[in-house]
Amino acid sequence: MNTKLLSLNEATRTVNSGSNKVTLLDDINLQVNEGEFISLMGPSGSGKSTLLNCIGMLDSFTGGGYTFLGEPVHSMKEKNRSKLYKEYIGFVFQAYHLIDELTVWENIETPLLYKSIKSSERKALVADMLDRFNIVGKKDLFPQQLSGGQQQLVGIARALIGKPKLILADEPTGNLNSKQSTEIMELFSQLNKDGVTIIQATHSEQNAAYGSRIINLLDGKIVEE
Amino acid sequence: MIKNYFKIAWRNIMKHKVFSLINVIGLTIGLSASFVIGLMIYYDYTFDDFHKDGDRIYRVVSDFKSPQGTFHNSGVTLALKDAIADNSNFESITEFYINRPSKVENKANNTEFKWPNFVMYTDEAYFNIFDYKFIAGDKSTALDKPNNVILTETRAKEYFPNTAPADLIGKTLVYNDSINITVSGVVENFKKRTDFVFEEFISHQTLLQTDRREELLERQWGNTNSDSQLFVKLTESANVVSIQKRLDDLALEHTDEDDKKYEMSREFQLQPLSDIHFNEDYGIYDWSKGQASKSLLSNLALVAVFLLLLGCINFINLNTAQASQRAKEIGIRKTLGSSRKQLISQFMGETFLLVFFSALLSIVLSKWLINVFSDFVPEDLSFELFKAPLIVLSILLLLFVVTILSGFYPALVLSKFNTVSVLKNHMAAGEKKVRLRKFLTVFQFTIAQIFIIGTLLVGKQINYLLNKDMGFKTDAIVSVYSPRSERELSKKELYAEKLRSIPEIKSVSIGSHAPASYSTNTTNVTYTNEEEIIKSEMQYIFGDTNYANLFELDILAGRIHRNDTVRELVINETLLKKLGFNSPDDAIGKALTVNDEQTPIVGVMADFNQRSLKSEIKPMALRGDWYRSQFSQFQAIHVSFHNESSENLKSTLTKIEDAYKSVYTETEDYRLQFMDQTIETFYNREKKISKLLNWATGLSILISCLGLLGLVIYTTNRRVKEIGVRKVLGASLFQINTLLCKEFLLLVAIAFVIATPLAWYGIYSWLQDFTYKTSISFIAFIVGGAAMIFFALLVISFKTLSAANANPVNSLRSE
Repeated sequence: MNTKLLSLNEATRTVNSGSNKVTLLDDINLQVNEGEFISLMGPSGSGKSTLLNCIGMLDSFTGGGYTFLGEPVHSMKEKNRSKLYKEYIGFVFQAYHLIDELTVWENIETPLLYKSIKSSERKALVADMLDRFNIVGKKDLFPQQLSGGQQQLVGIARALIGKPKLILADEPTGNLNSKQSTEIMELFSQLNKDGVTIIQATHSEQNAAYGSRIINLLDGKIVEE
Repeated sequence: MIKNYFKIAWRNIMKHKVFSLINVIGLTIGLSASFVIGLMIYYDYTFDDFHKDGDRIYRVVSDFKSPQGTFHNSGVTLALKDAIADNSNFESITEFYINRPSKVENKANNTEFKWPNFVMYTDEAYFNIFDYKFIAGDKSTALDKPNNVILTETRAKEYFPNTAPADLIGKTLVYNDSINITVSGVVENFKKRTDFVFEEFISHQTLLQTDRREELLERQWGNTNSDSQLFVKLTESANVVSIQKRLDDLALEHTDEDDKKYEMSREFQLQPLSDIHFNEDYGIYDWSKGQASKSLLSNLALVAVFLLLLGCINFINLNTAQASQRAKEIGIRKTLGSSRKQLISQFMGETFLLVFFSALLSIVLSKWLINVFSDFVPEDLSFELFKAPLIVLSILLLLFVVTILSGFYPALVLSKFNTVSVLKNHMAAGEKKVRLRKFLTVFQFTIAQIFIIGTLLVGKQINYLLNKDMGFKTDAIVSVYSPRSERELSKKELYAEKLRSIPEIKSVSIGSHAPASYSTNTTNVTYTNEEEIIKSEMQYIFGDTNYANLFELDILAGRIHRNDTVRELVINETLLKKLGFNSPDDAIGKALTVNDEQTPIVGVMADFNQRSLKSEIKPMALRGDWYRSQFSQFQAIHVSFHNESSENLKSTLTKIEDAYKSVYTETEDYRLQFMDQTIETFYNREKKISKLLNWATGLSILISCLGLLGLVIYTTNRRVKEIGVRKVLGASLFQINTLLCKEFLLLVAIAFVIATPLAWYGIYSWLQDFTYKTSISFIAFIVGGAAMIFFALLVISFKTLSAANANPVNSLRSE
């Protein structure tokens, strides 16, 4: 279980805000092995989300190297990059980000559509996932008809449907009450035991404790590991 | 995947019902207009497109050039055929002569048919050029002997009801009481759209037995009759230039001395078959059908394009404005692995769904529109045309183009969103496109504005034309025409006498046409004074001694002709000036040379308009009926009423008709024309344009205002919080409304500024066709601008007032 999943080598991200150059991530060195459960901690604006987005290839580092499964992401073309994350990465958001116009079933099915998986196979996969999360009865409801915890369950189900190696979760319990939070974190640690690598950003010490490794960020720098 | 797209598209459409409705209405109007106008264009362009080698078939026509202008005649001199018959460029050449018999009798059945239409005298070559299907008889021999006729199926059924075509061969018809003609063939009528509406084809030699005998025997170069038609079919390798050269040479060779003296010349032209349906210079064979006009069709097409554009613009505006609402979905889809291409095709799919839905509505609407636009749409243009493969294909293509036009840009904008900022709610994408939306809105309103100003000014001009003094009395006058076959004067006089005894009738006059009509009778005159010889053309109107009195023609000097048959002229001012007289009194007693005879001028009348006010006043003379013994020009009886109140009018008209029937007992050819209606027909075309403009204006205002409404709803909704804060700070309803309306009214104002010069230029060039025109008044522009602002304000306030009225607590609490 010690295969290297990704490594960051002096990775930085700077943006221009007006005439000022703002450094969001500064000189990040990070190795992540498969099967790890990492918690990113730090105050607001410390760069947790930016780091997650960059690892998830939604944003890109402006300097340094980023290797994912041995492939250099920083020198990759957009097309190959999107192929890579489609295949290996799933996202879970604080605000769930379900598509309001789609039912639970359709929301979970959507990633499979973009992977061009056949209809019959899609049906089987979605049904499995609904089963596993115990939300079969909710499959025809729209997101607004669900509680926050249920929406996040759907969000996680959707992130998992493509069988990713890595799940990136940006404050997955930020909008949930403590009971729901606990359920979601339990689920994450179960998933981690099943072999999925997880990187989560969180404010909560309690949630961070579910992780196998805690990284503290401040002003875009890793201050403590 | 596709199913998923359509599902979400449908849900989106249903979620934003108002926006979808605005989009669908705009697109439906644009598409309906395009469909109907497309059908009309298709209809007119598929006339006579089925003839074999139609591109090699030409009609030879004559153009006469003189200092007065060019005159067109669809016929050629009978002499031409023999002169060009041996030309190797022609595969086939045929002449035919159109002549309407006064009567055809089927003696066996004892039935009689008066004035059958579309009868021609021709030969076998006609059937070589135009491929008719023979049901009975043999093409090669049917017309090779005199006194043979080929009937179409339709005409055969009329003459010989319930007889099989094969049994018709050998049956006899009697034409004009004396000519016995044997049926030698029956052909199918053309099944497709055609201008070749002929029903009877009599062998050409038979013409020698009619009153055209002399004309045919002499075949004079100087004689051109539009009934004498010449068609040629070129060989595949024909040299058109050399044919034209030969025709030019022939024309030159046969110019007579008189023509040269008057600087008149003739040209023969080859008119392509496909041109016949459109070219108004030469006309078509069935006069009752309106001729297609390429300029009208292209104007219509322009209207359709504009309406469609307006609909597309609404779509672009509303969709980019709404973009932020879709942004979240786009962001999520991107994180789930959607590529930009996939997103674009998803949005295009949504657009197509709306466009397709609009198209279905449009097809239903078209059925109704065809009725509304019956003035423009040919009678037999039916809904069935939608089944034509070309139409189906064009519609699909149009839908595709409209989808691209309205959907592609919004799709690009939407798919461009940056995933991270969208998901973090740092949304500013909608804002960036504000300038484009403003530009498109200005464009829309500019078009609407141009239409409004155009409508006002065209309406003003038409009103002016209809109400301008023509120079003679035009109201409370009717003209009753004598039967076409009846030339005898005594009956007219008897009828006039009977009319005079009707008390409601003020005055009666026998004459030719009314002072203004479609008919002209023109001759050349010469006047010799001490220094020079002055030549001029001159139109005649013919009337008895009461004619000038009845039409209230103004006699400036002298008197009118003393009686109906004396050789005297009353000239108009235009002719007076042309002949070089300084005052009307100078002309009295001078003589003009007309047809080599000296004819004295006895009076001068004031100018009046002989046609529509589009044309200038021509030199003219009023005269009696001095060739009465050979050919009477008097063919109508003009009647003026004491007053024209409607209840009286009806009974008076009945009396006029009763009197007519008591005089002309045998005929049913009763033709009565109101003078003011005749004048209105001069302006049919202008009225059509006016109606078209009214529709275009209404629709473009509707589409533009709907689009504006959509934008206002959108921006107002976004500013609900701002409105709440301002209200809490003490802003009045009026202040808030002003704030919200200001930016939109500015756009409308900019549109007005852009539209004004364009509308002015358009109207200015349109007015150039008219000799008499109204001023382009500034009031029309101001009224147009005010109307546009009024509509815009109405639409904007509809939404802004309710927003401004809302309780601020609600909008602020929700945050």
